[in-house]
Amino acid sequence: MRTYALFAVAAAALAASPAIAHITLEAKQAAVGSYYKAVFAVPHGCAGSPTVKVRVQIPEGVIGVKPMPKAGWTLDMVTGKYASEYDYHGAKISEGVTEVAWSGGKLSDQNYDEFVMQTFLTDTLKPNTVLYFPVVQECEQGVSRWIDIPSAGQDGGHGHGSRTPAPGVRLLPKS
Amino acid sequence: MRLVASLAALLVALCLATAAHAHAVLIAAEPADGSVLAEAPKMLVLRFNEAVAPTAVSLLDAAGRPRDVAIRAVDQSVLVSLPSDLPKGTQAISYRVVSQDGHPVAGSLLFSIGTVTGATAAPDGGVLHALIWLARLALYFGLLAGVGGVFFAAWISHGPAGERLIMWALKIGLVGAIASLGLQGVDLLNLPLTGILTRAAWATAINTSLFPALLLAIAAMLIAAIAWRSPSIGASWRRTAIAMICVGLSFAISGHAATASPQWLTRTALFIHGVGLAYWMGALAPLAVLAWQRKDSLLRVLRYFSTLAVPIVALIAVSGLVLAVVQLESFRALVDTGYGNILLLKLVLVSLLLVFAALNRLVFTPAIAREFHRTRPLQRSIALEFVLMIAILSLVALWRFTPPPRALAMSSDVPLAVHIHTDAAMFQVLITPGKVGQNDFVLQLMNGDASPFAAKEAALTLSLPERGIEPMERSATLGPDGYWHVNKAPLPFPGRWHMQIGALVSDFKKVTLEDDVDIR
Repeated sequence: MRTYALFAVAAAALAASPAIAHITLEAKQAAVGSYYKAVFAVPHGCAGSPTVKVRVQIPEGVIGVKPMPKAGWTLDMVTGKYASEYDYHGAKISEGVTEVAWSGGKLSDQNYDEFVMQTFLTDTLKPNTVLYFPVVQECEQGVSRWIDIPSAGQDGGHGHGSRTPAPGVRLLPKS
Repeated sequence: MRLVASLAALLVALCLATAAHAHAVLIAAEPADGSVLAEAPKMLVLRFNEAVAPTAVSLLDAAGRPRDVAIRAVDQSVLVSLPSDLPKGTQAISYRVVSQDGHPVAGSLLFSIGTVTGATAAPDGGVLHALIWLARLALYFGLLAGVGGVFFAAWISHGPAGERLIMWALKIGLVGAIASLGLQGVDLLNLPLTGILTRAAWATAINTSLFPALLLAIAAMLIAAIAWRSPSIGASWRRTAIAMICVGLSFAISGHAATASPQWLTRTALFIHGVGLAYWMGALAPLAVLAWQRKDSLLRVLRYFSTLAVPIVALIAVSGLVLAVVQLESFRALVDTGYGNILLLKLVLVSLLLVFAALNRLVFTPAIAREFHRTRPLQRSIALEFVLMIAILSLVALWRFTPPPRALAMSSDVPLAVHIHTDAAMFQVLITPGKVGQNDFVLQLMNGDASPFAAKEAALTLSLPERGIEPMERSATLGPDGYWHVNKAPLPFPGRWHMQIGALVSDFKKVTLEDDVDIR
């Protein structure tokens, strides 16, 4: 019994500091209809194993994606059709980057790194909601999927119910 | 003779079909019977202890209107899509399904949205049940007294006696067999009695395991009727033997006992029980007639019959005992269950019957041997025997309405089932044994509309917040059955466990459903 109680205390202590353990976005909020520099902070590998690939899915309504190259990492982009057409500096855009992947590097579990891309948040996105960028972190051993998106009604918060939440940014009204 | 051989082969084949099935029992419903819900559920799930075929599900809403529902059977569950505009109040659902042993299983459950209101009860099937019982009794009468009587005339008395009664028994039996089929359909579809005139009732009944049994019964009675007018003794022997085999087979392939495992045992026992009874009951009417007419052949026939009767009654008793043991599982069930009560009563009547049989053999037959004119006591005793047999058959026909304790026991032994339903998906989780300790989980993943849900990976996360047990994740493996399995997951404490099932649809998309489950 006592061992279980101890285990519970330890678990509770771990659970109290989830933000450190997750892949998160550096800037926690951004206005719609503006550029957003998305910085994905990768604080550790998958259960101790070094990270070898980071894949980010671009949510609908986010266009003009320009990832920042990283020394030692190969940059790949997947393009595809958007669900709808967007206005981008007067031009109509209906397709673009839907997924960005950095691979070939090796980020030790002991180290920290950031993966950066510039994006444009179209004003079709709803202010006062959280926009999620699902991330798949692939390691030498294992995969961590930071893809959990709270269902409507539940506020994002961090780690509400999920141990692998997708990194998110709170959207503000157009400034 | 070839026909006899092929029938024997059929019997062997039936005995070898070892798939163990039981009378279906509803083990869980969601929403549960009597529950009060805040919001109208989208779907009702009925879970049985075995795969079932739904025949009719009707919904009477709180306003008393019958509503259309769509039903779909997924393995052991029946999913009932409910209308989205159910009024507040108590709704009544009636269901009918056919279990694998061909028996219809019916029931109703009530659930309320918002508040409990005086909902209307499901239609009552009293008259229908009485008719089903009567038809079943008529069928038994035809098979045992009718076919058995013809057999007796051919093999034992070597001459016709009691023709009128035997022919009437066959006619009653044929009517009973045909009526049983139609009424089964009416019962399955939950139709009013006039529904027996509809094609649907018959078409439904034909698809149950009762149909081949009734066909065999009808064949037995028709062959017996033809055998009565056989041109030669050899022909009558052959025909009546085939008819008796059909009687045995008819008993062996339908009913509660036929589906109990081990099937080679229960089916053989039923075959012996049926044929033995036909031999016994078939003899009574002709013997009474012979005694009444004081035929010269009476003593010879009596001796011949009773010599054979001793081993046959023993066989009937042993096969009956085997069936009782398989079905009952415990002595307590004799008192505790409807099935057991009927069996208990039957045993009392059977003991009485055996007393009369013994009297006939040990007292009245020797009396006739001494003074031939003293046939009156024997006649009376035979008449009583006959009445007792009919009483026993009326009891046995009641079994049509009571599941045996064996099937009831299985329902307490079945896995715990949790049904989680959201717009995105519908997951069904089966937990075996569903108790504290190591448990095997089966995850049945479906889309919201009950179509199969294609997942790349699935994982189960368990936690017990009230005891501070933090989430423990187990990845599931896809089994050949198309379901995801997590074996030997520990549930170390009793309590309200939180279950989270994550199913990966694509690299970036996961559907996660959660629910609580009480573990004891």
